[in-house]
Amino acid sequence: MTPPPQPHAGLRRAGMGVLHLVLVVFALSQLFPLLWVFLYSLQRSGDLFGNAMLSLPHDPQWVNYTRAWTDGEMVRYGLNSLIVVAASTIASTFLAFCMGYAIARMRWRFKRLVVGAITMGMVVPIHATLLPNFIWYNLFGLVDTRIGLIIPYVAFTLSFNTLIYVGHFQNLPVALEEAALLDGASWPRILWTVIAPLARPATVIVAVMTTLTNWNEFIMANTYLSSDELRTLPFSIIRFEGQFSSEYAVQFACMVIVALPAVALYLFFSKHIMAGATAGAVKE
Amino acid sequence: MKATAFLVLALALVPVYRAEAQSKVTIKMGDNLPDRTATWGAIIEQINSEFKAAHPGTEIVTESYQDQPYQQKIKIYATAKQLPEVFKFWSFTSLLKPLINGGFVAPLDRAEFEGLGYLPGALDTNTYGGKLYGIPVSTDIWVIYYNKKLFKDAGIDKLPTTLDELYAVIPRFKAKGIIPMTTDGKDAWPLSITFDLLAWRIGGERALTGKALDRKIKFTDPVFVQAAKELQQFVKSGLFQEDLMVSDYGASRNLFGQGKAAMYLMGSWELGLGTDKAFSQEFRDNVDAFKFPVLANGKGVVDDLMAWYGGNYVISSATKNLALDKQYLQFYAKRFPELAWEKAVTLPAQTVKPRPNDTTVAKTILKIVADAKSTSGTPALDLSTPRFKDDNENAIRELCSGLITPEAFVKKLDVSAEKAAKK
Amino acid sequence: MADPSRSRATVAFLVLPGLAVLAFSLVVPLCVSVYFSFTDSEGFGEYKTVGFENYVAILTDDPVFWRSLRNVVVLIVATIFVQNPIAFVLAAILSRMSARLSRILRTIYFVPAVLSLVVVAKLWADVFNPTFGILNKTLHAIGLDGLAMSWLSDPRTALPAVIWIILWQGFGWAVFFYYAGLMTVPRDLEEAARVDGASTFQTYTRVIIPYMFPVISTVIVIDVISSMKQMELIYLTTNGAPGQLTQFLGVYLYQKAFVAGEYGYGNAISVLFVIISVGLTLVVQRVMRGRLR
Repeated sequence: MTPPPQPHAGLRRAGMGVLHLVLVVFALSQLFPLLWVFLYSLQRSGDLFGNAMLSLPHDPQWVNYTRAWTDGEMVRYGLNSLIVVAASTIASTFLAFCMGYAIARMRWRFKRLVVGAITMGMVVPIHATLLPNFIWYNLFGLVDTRIGLIIPYVAFTLSFNTLIYVGHFQNLPVALEEAALLDGASWPRILWTVIAPLARPATVIVAVMTTLTNWNEFIMANTYLSSDELRTLPFSIIRFEGQFSSEYAVQFACMVIVALPAVALYLFFSKHIMAGATAGAVKE
Repeated sequence: MKATAFLVLALALVPVYRAEAQSKVTIKMGDNLPDRTATWGAIIEQINSEFKAAHPGTEIVTESYQDQPYQQKIKIYATAKQLPEVFKFWSFTSLLKPLINGGFVAPLDRAEFEGLGYLPGALDTNTYGGKLYGIPVSTDIWVIYYNKKLFKDAGIDKLPTTLDELYAVIPRFKAKGIIPMTTDGKDAWPLSITFDLLAWRIGGERALTGKALDRKIKFTDPVFVQAAKELQQFVKSGLFQEDLMVSDYGASRNLFGQGKAAMYLMGSWELGLGTDKAFSQEFRDNVDAFKFPVLANGKGVVDDLMAWYGGNYVISSATKNLALDKQYLQFYAKRFPELAWEKAVTLPAQTVKPRPNDTTVAKTILKIVADAKSTSGTPALDLSTPRFKDDNENAIRELCSGLITPEAFVKKLDVSAEKAAKK
Repeated sequence: MADPSRSRATVAFLVLPGLAVLAFSLVVPLCVSVYFSFTDSEGFGEYKTVGFENYVAILTDDPVFWRSLRNVVVLIVATIFVQNPIAFVLAAILSRMSARLSRILRTIYFVPAVLSLVVVAKLWADVFNPTFGILNKTLHAIGLDGLAMSWLSDPRTALPAVIWIILWQGFGWAVFFYYAGLMTVPRDLEEAARVDGASTFQTYTRVIIPYMFPVISTVIVIDVISSMKQMELIYLTTNGAPGQLTQFLGVYLYQKAFVAGEYGYGNAISVLFVIISVGLTLVVQRVMRGRLR
């Protein structure tokens, strides 16, 4: 069978050229904020928010970065963030995987009820939960502990994550588990060896979403933590906050430093989107 | 990979080891000054270390957040009965009264705080139902800061004393590409304070807005309608930056400090503009202040000063170290005025000794205070319930964005005041 | 043999831990919210129950509530019909490029999603600044002075400007989701269509998009819910200004419950918020499922 007739070669090339141009313009507009933050972070705090946009300062204040690192307690807060965010991502991903699978591919009586509960979990506004949860967690001695922060971090990402897994699992071929079950495999084995690899794109999305959501999260950390030893990275920024005006440039330096691990994380995880697809060839 | 995951989870569950203090008394404190390396935060750190040296065996642990989260956290702590022992707060009815009503704040013995140089009325602002509940720390007055060099460059040699004179200088600055005046329009309180002041300038009687809140007069009375008209004109006159209503505190302050605006409508806590190294030396040498103008046909005079005692420190009623906490407050009261004045952090609530190397703007602020014939007390938006404050701020925003008429504005205020009075 | 997909023990093991976490963190606050929504509490101190007073007031006497809701709906529509299609097209283009180039571009596109919302808000406040911002400066430079507005404070442009900021920030996520979704489309499906003589456009509209319906459906539901919950970006840019014209439900309920001290009223808004969100989600899911057939 002959392939369909191609449009004129020159037109196609022009079309590709335009497409590439669009992509590049888009890329520039997305990179622009990083450049903006970086340039501002090298100014003096008093020079911000005026004319000094996108101009390399003639007197770059690299000291802002050293201040951000030391006065901002970034080592201590950074370690706390790593622990809390990693733990909540692992837990949330795992629980969402389990629940998503059960909802998408198993039949059971209370499914609709649970789906409803999960949907509600997605829409509860965080601010409404702060005061009641503080008192409730306090009863269990969970206030001002790491685990007391991890639990809400998991809870508030669990619903979205489950939804993503459900959407992904629904697309898998229906008879996928049958072969393994006929072979006498147990459920844990099936989930680990058959389903999990196929769910990798969803796992990547879930992991990235959960990590990034909790990496920059401030309001719950602010509520449930009291001790300085437990504080997370977003608190570095407020260390430069005065009663009315703040040291903006140093704060921007903090924000650049805080953004770097997040970008690295995204780079790392996005490799894994390639691998893992449904029964059928992988895309590249 | 799996091992790392389990390690991380394990780490998460480990409780933080906190060294047990041996026979140490720990005072838990709270404030809204997260930056401990500069300005006010640094002064508190200094006071704290001096206090600890004078009281061996005492430890001080402070939790600091910026303004809004701090207020939320205090509310949560109060409800959970975990308030810090000594914490920075506000004397305002809208903030302190709910705490007092809930029994969260310890009453203080006024006699223990006399003779510490408090300015007249300072301790009264913190007195509710005849009892003293907090010690004031700062005097806040409403002024207009200005840049002497920009005035000279625009050929203005006389400071405006009436609003009309103020409007007259607008074109001269605009011709030079300078914004005449900036203020924080995103938060509604600066314009709300200005509204109070305008009502005073018109009616010639202090605390008119307070009277309206007490329902002795109404917000729909002519004096307030005119004040609203004046405020709307004030904002629309071209005095301010074009995006005033979304221009936040930091942005507006920086506009002034960078020499892009000639005047800055703000409070005396900004007297540190004269020494702020974030701005150029030229700016610091040229910043000064003048009194808010009068209305040509108003009854108020220029020495009617919009002044109040905003910040304070209170002691939690659940404290186990009441005596030590009081000693701390007394120590604070002794040390803070000197340090705050020396470092140009704010105008204290106590008398200060002028120093030979005080900046020009600091000297002017002292003079404005000394010249004052009468002072306003707490502005209206903080004299009532939190709900009134919210209604007031929303109404101010709508009035100043030109979305409602002055008549509709005062009606909103009045309805809200009526509701608040019923509580 | 019993149907293994009905194994109760397995289902219990899979579902109960997650449910427990949800219950622990969300049931108590929800119940507390509902309780206080029937009171006139101000956060502290004494209060009394007032029945449905708060709800009636919100639904009949609160124009700001309805404006907030309207703005949220506008945001949802903009997200679904403007942001998503563009993101999908971008993801499709990316999926056909070389692996390395695609990964570089995808990382770049994702950068705004990684930055804290404070940065995004301040950045756009800067760009939109009527006097110093580059948008107006560019407009002046190319002679379009008439178009130079005070974007965030002018009643005509404030809402579109805020919505633009929210859409822009969410772009990286949308491209990310759609790209991952496109990766799961089996190649043979596409090749079969090609062999049948379909053009690229037809391949996408007749084969790939229908295959990706569950993914698209998920993304739309997430869009609806994040739009409803939008809070920080609005709070940091306009905070509802001018007046209450750019007020959104998430910010409004925060203001009422925690700033204005109207705790009972704010919680009633919160409960309504949950009900409306769940309702919208169900509607969207039903519509998507309907189209799937």
